[in-house]
Amino acid sequence: MLKFVKSRVRNKFLYALTAVSLSCGGLVQADEWPEDNIRLVVPYSAGGTTDLLSRKVADLLQKELTTVVVENRPGAGSTVATGQLARGGRGSDHMLLMASPGHTIGASLYPNLRYDPVADFAFVRNVINIPNVMVVPGDSPYNTVAEFVEAARKQEMSFSSPGIGSSVHMSGELFKNLTQTQLVHVPFRGSGEALPALLSGDVDVAFENMPTVYPHIQSGKLKALAVTTPSASEFLPDVPTMQDAGKGYGLETYETSAWFGLIAHKSFPEEGMVKLQAALDKVMAGEEFTKFLPQFGAEAGTVVGDDFRQFVQGEVQKWSDVAEKANLKR
Amino acid sequence: MENFSEVLALFLSVDNFLAIAAGVLVGVVVGAIPGLTATMAVALALPFTFSMEPVTAILLLVGIYKGGMYGGSITAILIRTPGSPASACTLLDGYPMAQQGKAKKALKTALYSSVVADMISNVALIFFASYLAKIALNFGPPEYFWLICFSLTIIVSVSGSSVVKGLIAAGLGIIVSTIGLDAVYGTQRLTFDNYNLMDRVSFIPLLIGLFAIPEVIEFYTSKVAPHIRTAVSGASLTWKEFKGLLKTIVRGSVIGVIIGAIPGTGATSAAFISYSEAKRTSPRKANFGKGEVEGVAAAESGNNGVAGATLIPLLSLGIPGDVITAIILGAFMIHGLTPGPVLFQENLTLVYALFCGIMVSSFVLVFVGNAAIRYFSLIADIPKTILLPIVLMFCIYGAYAVNNSTFDIGLMLAFGVLGFVFNRTGIAAAPFLIGFILGPMFEDNLRRTMLISKGDLSIFFRGPITWVFILLTVASLIFAIRRYWVARKEDALA
Repeated sequence: MLKFVKSRVRNKFLYALTAVSLSCGGLVQADEWPEDNIRLVVPYSAGGTTDLLSRKVADLLQKELTTVVVENRPGAGSTVATGQLARGGRGSDHMLLMASPGHTIGASLYPNLRYDPVADFAFVRNVINIPNVMVVPGDSPYNTVAEFVEAARKQEMSFSSPGIGSSVHMSGELFKNLTQTQLVHVPFRGSGEALPALLSGDVDVAFENMPTVYPHIQSGKLKALAVTTPSASEFLPDVPTMQDAGKGYGLETYETSAWFGLIAHKSFPEEGMVKLQAALDKVMAGEEFTKFLPQFGAEAGTVVGDDFRQFVQGEVQKWSDVAEKANLKR
Repeated sequence: MENFSEVLALFLSVDNFLAIAAGVLVGVVVGAIPGLTATMAVALALPFTFSMEPVTAILLLVGIYKGGMYGGSITAILIRTPGSPASACTLLDGYPMAQQGKAKKALKTALYSSVVADMISNVALIFFASYLAKIALNFGPPEYFWLICFSLTIIVSVSGSSVVKGLIAAGLGIIVSTIGLDAVYGTQRLTFDNYNLMDRVSFIPLLIGLFAIPEVIEFYTSKVAPHIRTAVSGASLTWKEFKGLLKTIVRGSVIGVIIGAIPGTGATSAAFISYSEAKRTSPRKANFGKGEVEGVAAAESGNNGVAGATLIPLLSLGIPGDVITAIILGAFMIHGLTPGPVLFQENLTLVYALFCGIMVSSFVLVFVGNAAIRYFSLIADIPKTILLPIVLMFCIYGAYAVNNSTFDIGLMLAFGVLGFVFNRTGIAAAPFLIGFILGPMFEDNLRRTMLISKGDLSIFFRGPITWVFILLTVASLIFAIRRYWVARKEDALA
């Protein structure tokens, strides 16, 4: 028996030694980030816009760094996967998450989340932005934002969205808020269901993502009244920005877009951050990336690191205010 | 004619044929494995298509879609584990057939019904896309509302022995479906502050739990030696039998095409509506649910009829009808193509090359399906003492794999127990499933309609489509009630 215990103890020591030496090996190599595959978590199911963009970015990024494995972890908006990332733990030094408006909107709608959307994370960079477009059915009597607002102040109108808490929904709530109009939100499940209601005129207006409505604007089935970004989109150069078109109607500060960016756990190694940002700069300057963007009506992201963090902070504040006023806080 | 040769030049390439074959094969295999869905396979295959030619890329994805639609029926029939939601209806008769040693016949029926439905669906896509797309566009919330009302009447025909028990099951299904965030206000319903429940109960764990797990529990709890299944070497489907089924298959396909052309309704509803229609008109009504070959044919033709038709709103309007077509839409966009009217104007050659490929995929399904039957049939030869633990393992894996969530495993086991209780109390599980699927659609569309009309009820009777579905609903209810009374009278006499 004693012998057995002794051998166990010796074994334990051996294991410990091995572990220590292995981890020392790790320490020696610590300046060689990445030591492992990078895991890119997509907080939505496979096949959505976030997934599609993430897979493309992963594909390009792994040519610069190391293998990037994409993992879909959908649930409760994007809050399940984001919560897991916030908790950190093993492997979080090689884990990234593709954050999108859900990151900030979720935090403003559900204050009981167990993480802080800003403080708990490291912000790598904003990769892609997709503008939203204010669209009305092709046979709608309204041709400008001003006409629409005037009418919506007199009578109740409806706007569609692919679901509550989506950037499309919140863009509408923000519009309603700033213009003091009566807009009723009609939620659908996904753009596939929402779009027919708009095309057929069942709802009066929508603030949809560019790629969803672009072909219908081109074919004349929808009219674009404004884009929601501060500068005009290269896809719809003739369509004014909301800030311009809505002057005098409270829309001077209106700005929304579907943004996508990489975030990590707050303990993410500094060295990894530098390497990642450099690799992303390279990827985003590359031809493949710039060619890929127009297919989604997308534009390259602009903010990096701390600027990205401030942007997200601002978004959380903005949506929190909107959610408050629209009585959406849960 | 010049165009025709261009189309052929674009289509006739080794890559395209390889893509179709690989797609269908992957689809069938993935579809057959519980928890691995065609949706996942299409999403995972998408990055591989980035570097392919557009036609090749889309044919690969469409191949997976179509293969998956059929593949789901294999395990549904053999081990009562629907590989995909749409094949839940197939097991109602497919599994009893397998238990009676007619697995081969059931599998072949499923295959050939699928293939015929697939072809009809393709033809509809090619020739009637623009008409059907117009109907789809006229489907607003009130039209959906009545379509769902009509679909809900099928609960009666899948209730098994007792309509009351069927309604109880459907009610329970509807209650379970309300778990999660309210679609309009975003309030949490029955979530008990558990974030795992915020996104509603996941479908795959529910499906696997409800149908596959009860078999496992039944096996380990029953004292009687379990029924030993005979091997699949039994009789196949004869040409004469197939001819007899053709009417059912064509009807199922047409139902599938119509449902498929309307975005957001789905293959599962199509399968159940087709099944219910077949049962209503069949001379062998009483045998439905007990291993009726016509039931398998109806279910499979219904769900495969959807596969080609969901491409109708996608190609002609740029509107994806379900998750898979949403991914395929992504594939189009990645290749710089925008589905919709513009596609037909600017890339007509490509569209027709796609049509050629889609037609070919139906033929490929025959070969791949037959091969799959041969190999998957081996499952039926495995003794239950070995098979069921493996099934259980797959169930657990499948429930986990959908969302990478351990919570879903617990959920699946809980539904397994519920399914077992259902079995023991003679409550059919199918109405529960229908309630679970249609309940939210009913609620959402009712509320959307009221939001759009600002409370004006006349919107429910606003056009011909609403009236068609109102009449269908009423007729279906009258038939159901009459059948119920006749059955009661017969019982009283007996």
